[in-house]
Amino acid sequence: MSMKISIIKPGLLSTIQDMGRYRYLSQAVPVSGAMDELAHRLANKAVGNDDNNATIEFTYADASFKTETPVLISYSGDGAFLVYNNELMPAEKPLFFPAGSVIKLIHNAIGVRTYLAIAGGWDVPDVMESKSTYLTAAFGGFKGRALQKADVLVSGTLLSEVSNGILNHLIENSLTYPNWRISRESLLPENRQAIRVVLANEISWFDATSIISFLTNSYTIDRRSNRMGYHLLGKPLVRKVKKELLSTAVTPGVIQVTGSGDLAILMADCQTTGGYPRIAHVAAVDLPLCAQLKPGDTIHFSEISRDEAEALYLEREHDLSLITTAIGLKYIKT
Amino acid sequence: MNEQVGYFEADIPLKIYGLSEKSVTITFGTAIDNDLLGLITYFNQLLLQNPFSGLITTVPAYTTLTVFFDPVSVMLSDLPGEVCFEKVSAHLNKIAQTKREKTSKIASKLIIPVCYGGDFGQDLSTVARTNKLSETEVIDIHTVGQYIVFMIGFVPGFAYMGGMDIRLSTPRKEVPDAKIPTGSVGIAGNQTGIYPMETPGGWQIIGRTPLKMFDVNRSQPSLLKGGDIVTFKAIGVKEFNAYAEI
Repeated sequence: MSMKISIIKPGLLSTIQDMGRYRYLSQAVPVSGAMDELAHRLANKAVGNDDNNATIEFTYADASFKTETPVLISYSGDGAFLVYNNELMPAEKPLFFPAGSVIKLIHNAIGVRTYLAIAGGWDVPDVMESKSTYLTAAFGGFKGRALQKADVLVSGTLLSEVSNGILNHLIENSLTYPNWRISRESLLPENRQAIRVVLANEISWFDATSIISFLTNSYTIDRRSNRMGYHLLGKPLVRKVKKELLSTAVTPGVIQVTGSGDLAILMADCQTTGGYPRIAHVAAVDLPLCAQLKPGDTIHFSEISRDEAEALYLEREHDLSLITTAIGLKYIKT
Repeated sequence: MNEQVGYFEADIPLKIYGLSEKSVTITFGTAIDNDLLGLITYFNQLLLQNPFSGLITTVPAYTTLTVFFDPVSVMLSDLPGEVCFEKVSAHLNKIAQTKREKTSKIASKLIIPVCYGGDFGQDLSTVARTNKLSETEVIDIHTVGQYIVFMIGFVPGFAYMGGMDIRLSTPRKEVPDAKIPTGSVGIAGNQTGIYPMETPGGWQIIGRTPLKMFDVNRSQPSLLKGGDIVTFKAIGVKEFNAYAEI
């Protein structure tokens, strides 16, 4: 039987996202998917889901929903806290609510985006092998659009063995949750303003002073920032090579330098190709930090090598697989 | 295809750079060129027919082919190398050494109906004036030509097509339009293209096609793909409306 919620207040921008739509890039279909893939995956893991199950991506707070059936949900991210009966709900932990519960999202000053997972994943049709919403072309997710008041969202009916295990332990007539939670903090660096980057192919197009400036100065997230990318305010870079770059594939995390020398970090809904020279790309493990940046936040970049970035990525994937195993061991009888 | 284009059977390693932890880009050349496009299309087909463990997808562009992969699967594979970049590069270089067959797959040929001028092509007069032609001459030249799809980019299904007669060459608008209607056929520099959905854009719009250039319900949502050959056919408003009703 599927679980169900109704949206009371949708908030600024709430969309269904999974881990993205990768197989249609050659047709210029953007990856989309959760901006903060780490928070999205942890929310899923906490209810025993597959990492790629669809979650709701909330932007900031000021949103609320009502459970129409008993539900097993979890949340992760930095845009909001979940509150029930004036009680702050713990994140990265399975939460069981009876039918008729009203849950609110209240302001979390740290970041922007919060992910809500439900056991079985949110059930919306697959479009090009993904449930992610791409608003520009109005496809994917919930009817190709952002969630609105009174929308009713249902979960997939196929629960994993772990989800069933968690549910069987928690099912009650009132709010319940287990004593364990995933430690998201242990996966994130302490200094969240330092974004690690790998220098890009067109690095030699910039003069030495500009490269040093890029790696030492601070940059501020501009108001012109959304799911496609962020414009950064800071000292413009100077190019020594003035030739044009013929459009070539780009991907979320790539830092482009526009004609005026300004920086832009490409994010989940970025175009599949771009013609601006690239100075660096954000290390995949630090892209979730970027997903939580809001206009006015200040960051600086620190250089790591391509191999270091890969090692960090593989280490993160290993840590994430250990979390899945640990949760599984609690609920799967062997 | 030109014989001198020679990554195949040659001992030159491919020029590859890392785009992210999950992707590398092969650079095949430095300028827009039909032979280079043929080479990239052919290499792409070969790679997709002979994938490595962890390959997710590829993105061809003017002079490059970008290869996306899952680093965890690549590391588990027995490809030679210590890191993903080396392992993927090893596979790509092996593909490059495959003996190139003379009969590479023939490109798809498509005819796109276009209703030129009027409300559908408000910049037809600009293109005519810029090139000192009449509007009819612009349409004649545009429909006589044969175009090749260099790549799909910008928005889902947007085909950048080369091979346009330089007599139609017109610069992009200095101030882009806020809304270009779906199906609009435009010119920018020496290229022509079709807007598959309503977006802002700076191309000179000369007409509109009733065909759905992008449809999520098709197995290949984008009507065109890199390497396709395209010709345009002029149609009247009546015929346009008849198509639109299908």
